[in-house]
Amino acid sequence: MMQLRAFILATSSFAALLGAREIALAERGDAWWTPGEGREFPAQIDYENDYGTLRVLLTGGPLATKDHPFFRPVGPRGRACITCHQPADAMSLSVETVRKRWDKTQGKDPLFAAYDGSNCPTLKQDERASHSLLLDHGLIRIQRPWPPRETKPDFTIETVRDPTSCNSGGKYGPGAGNISVYRRPRPVANLKYLLAVGFAYDPKQGMPLPLDPESGEPMSGNLMADGRAGTLHAQMHDAAATHLELLQHFDRADMARIVDFESRIFTAQQIDKRGGALNADGAEGGAEKLATSEPGQLGSIGRAVWSEFAAWETPKPGLTPEENAFRASVARGAKVFRDKTFLISDSAGINSPIGFGNPVRNSCVFCHNMSQMGNDVAPGQVDLGTTTLPFADPAPHLPLFRITCTAAPHPHYGRVIYTNDPGYALTTGRCADVGKITLQSMRGLSARAPYFSNGSAKDLRAIIDYYERRYHIGYTEQEKQDLVNLMSVL
Amino acid sequence: MRVLALLLAFAVTGAQAETVRFITCPIYRDADAGKKSGCWLADDRATGKRYDVSQAPSKPDWNREVLVEGTIAQGGKEICGGIVLEPVRTSILPGACTRQMLPAENFTGRKFVLPKRNISPLSVKRDPPPPPYAARSFHLFFDFGQAFVIYQYDDYLLDEAVHWIRAAKPRAITVTGYAATSPAIVSGRTIAEDAAIARVRAAKIGEALVRLGIDRKIVTVKWQRDAAPIDVPEADGLAEASRRRVDIAVAF
Repeated sequence: MMQLRAFILATSSFAALLGAREIALAERGDAWWTPGEGREFPAQIDYENDYGTLRVLLTGGPLATKDHPFFRPVGPRGRACITCHQPADAMSLSVETVRKRWDKTQGKDPLFAAYDGSNCPTLKQDERASHSLLLDHGLIRIQRPWPPRETKPDFTIETVRDPTSCNSGGKYGPGAGNISVYRRPRPVANLKYLLAVGFAYDPKQGMPLPLDPESGEPMSGNLMADGRAGTLHAQMHDAAATHLELLQHFDRADMARIVDFESRIFTAQQIDKRGGALNADGAEGGAEKLATSEPGQLGSIGRAVWSEFAAWETPKPGLTPEENAFRASVARGAKVFRDKTFLISDSAGINSPIGFGNPVRNSCVFCHNMSQMGNDVAPGQVDLGTTTLPFADPAPHLPLFRITCTAAPHPHYGRVIYTNDPGYALTTGRCADVGKITLQSMRGLSARAPYFSNGSAKDLRAIIDYYERRYHIGYTEQEKQDLVNLMSVL
Repeated sequence: MRVLALLLAFAVTGAQAETVRFITCPIYRDADAGKKSGCWLADDRATGKRYDVSQAPSKPDWNREVLVEGTIAQGGKEICGGIVLEPVRTSILPGACTRQMLPAENFTGRKFVLPKRNISPLSVKRDPPPPPYAARSFHLFFDFGQAFVIYQYDDYLLDEAVHWIRAAKPRAITVTGYAATSPAIVSGRTIAEDAAIARVRAAKIGEALVRLGIDRKIVTVKWQRDAAPIDVPEADGLAEASRRRVDIAVAF
């Protein structure tokens, strides 16, 4: 009853703030948005997930989606942007949703298009096994040109293992002028944070930020996993030509409407099943705070990262012991995130070439440093080892590439590197960037498992376990649970 | 004549402060006083002395040799277990080292303090530097063999230069990259920078200026080998390190 009351209060107050005329609560069942269905996108909509309720806000009021280019089916498969950026999944796509969609449509949904919704277009498309990476790991095929078009790479790529058949043969693979990697869709929400430019410099590259050719303004470098598009326009061009299989780009009017929508959409976990409303009793979680806050602030000189939950350090009279215990755990998790230091070693983007030293002692917030979002204020291209041996978890389902550096060796891996995804190096052509993947936001995690760019962490605990293995942090069991609880309420 | 004068200037400075230059494998001491608090130590094998090089703007890699260039700090507290060098530069070299880590052993290390050379967020309003504006030069300094704009050192110096240039609106800017190509014997081996690094440094800073809003048409990029040291405050009195630099010369 208390949770329901809190939910109603939170909902009512925000509706008043927005002047929203429509509030919708989606049931746990099929929350799928089908391209072209024409439903109005409300100013606020809530979706249940395993941990509680995710809220999606559209500032400025509802949106008519009929014929809107984000929602309009285009290309030969009838896909739209909304296909892979579902509101119930924090504008990303959970593997649970993928499986439901497969079961409901017997694999006929445009989501499973041969181009990138299958392991490789050459496979038999009516077989589940041909879509196993999407169905089992939530992975979309990303085809990158090889070598890169605008730079001469200082490394070569050979395919060592090709379980998807898309990195060898006459049409696909490095020998055919392309490389296929497999990645999770990134959330299209809270974008003002990902686009925010806090400083004029990229300390990881030792250069001022690159400029947007259209506007002349510096680009944040935080949009794409491999940094291949620095602006929403560039991302749209890339997505239209690949995921949507459009022969022509969106026109300027369409792009303006998409940018308008993407700039207005915010999402975060709003209610937790164990702790109640995440903006209650002094806490400042939830989507509303994201929508109204200034982006791009460095937590170390402003509002400390995840201090939104500091008020929960003190038990609240009237709550059950279980509710207070959960809230205290979240607040502890925020402190562990900020204050528990460990030795970070052999991670390009952190330990080289920036000058922090190898190793360097710091905490999660060293990289996840933007207030309220947990992405990197600087462009966040870092190699945590999630895609590259020896640190990556065994992934027999993914291709394995042998990288040979032809100029200077990689600062940590040496001359020869084995990786499932070279990441940022596919954009820059630099051996030193192999394995770097752009940090993403930490909001809406409860709605969009699995995690990491290659889906290698099946749940929130697996994220913590990976970091523990990678950096020998020495988390106690309580600290691990506190961090999981923290991430579940973001 | 100008070079001689500069060396004399450094010599005068050197009369009051002893400088060291050597190559070694670095040692990390895990003095846990919070974030970025670990100590970096470097043993000069020729003298048997252990130095604390933690204050270098760019710090060592425990897998690689390091070129140490520093000034022995007067009254520096040995809170890491070594004679404190400050100012100090540590340049990572290609040679491999076996990684070595010492425990804290009651050495406290330093709590992290933001260096004095750090750039402000874009959200912080800055007043333009006041006129008069006249021809002058700015300087950036690099690690040995590197063209990387050092975080919280070069980026600050570059930012200061661009802030001034934006206000001064000069007619022309000449970016000159230098490399320390003259061989020097350090720790029993001869070292010299590849002349090509001068061009890389110049090109990088030229591009950086453009990214920071300077009109590409007024920027000329040049490079030069056999660099001489310069004595400017930004070089921190480290003569050898000052050879590895880029000059940004502004004309009206």
